[in-house]
Amino acid sequence: MQAYLPYALCMVLLAIGIYGMVAKKNVIKIIIGLAITEYAINMFLLLLGWRSGKNPVAPILARGQKDFLVNTVDPLPQALVLTSIVVGLSVLALAVALAVRIYQKYGTFDITEIRKLKG
Amino acid sequence: MKQPGMSLIVKTVTRLITGFIMIFGLYLVIYGHITPGGGFSGGVVISLALILTLLAFGKEFIDAHALIGDNGMEAVDVFGAFAFLVIALLGYFAGAFFSNRIIGHGEPFHLFSGGIIPFCNLAIGLKVGACLFGVLVALAVFHTQRRHDPSEPREEG
Repeated sequence: MQAYLPYALCMVLLAIGIYGMVAKKNVIKIIIGLAITEYAINMFLLLLGWRSGKNPVAPILARGQKDFLVNTVDPLPQALVLTSIVVGLSVLALAVALAVRIYQKYGTFDITEIRKLKG
Repeated sequence: MKQPGMSLIVKTVTRLITGFIMIFGLYLVIYGHITPGGGFSGGVVISLALILTLLAFGKEFIDAHALIGDNGMEAVDVFGAFAFLVIALLGYFAGAFFSNRIIGHGEPFHLFSGGIIPFCNLAIGLKVGACLFGVLVALAVFHTQRRHDPSEPREEG
């Protein structure tokens, strides 16, 4: 039971992010929800590579380290998450630029007051 | 007297710590192949030092005192990507794309080791540091230019 607790916390974080994206009306809060969703998915991928051994270490070889291959965690999800962080950063920059543009055009961050987007 | 940028406290603290943040970023880039870190994270820390200076002192101060302007920053950005490509193509002298046999490998766990990996880290650090700072400068310039443009009518509500 305790081994699955981090996965459940990931799902809670994902639910918080999706709630922020769906239920909030402020554009900045929607962007924050998007970022929280990204972090939840990144943490889930990192947890998949965790090795619940006796003495798990980071996948970086140090001088004079013994039993490296037995104890190291999986480095593949970490490389994948590094790429995912880069992509998430550029998505965040694009979303913030669009939010700035929306504020200049309409003078508000409230998505219910931006009526000219409809047709 | 109203000065651009933030208050005197923020400016003083920024003056004190920006150098240390920059040195930490350079350390992450240079030692990226033997310790945790690397080109991307070191580049992010370098760009954070630049962004902190920009936020504390304002865009005008940066324009007046920076060694290279916005176009120079873009040139550094492009140079990073180009240097990475050149390192990859130099591998053809040893027979393959990204071949790690063009220079000596050095001694393991020392600074001069890893073949081409430290140079790749330097290229990525330049690219990421200049690129992230460029994103924030682009947002700031975009904002101020649009705000001071009276030709376009503002629509309310």
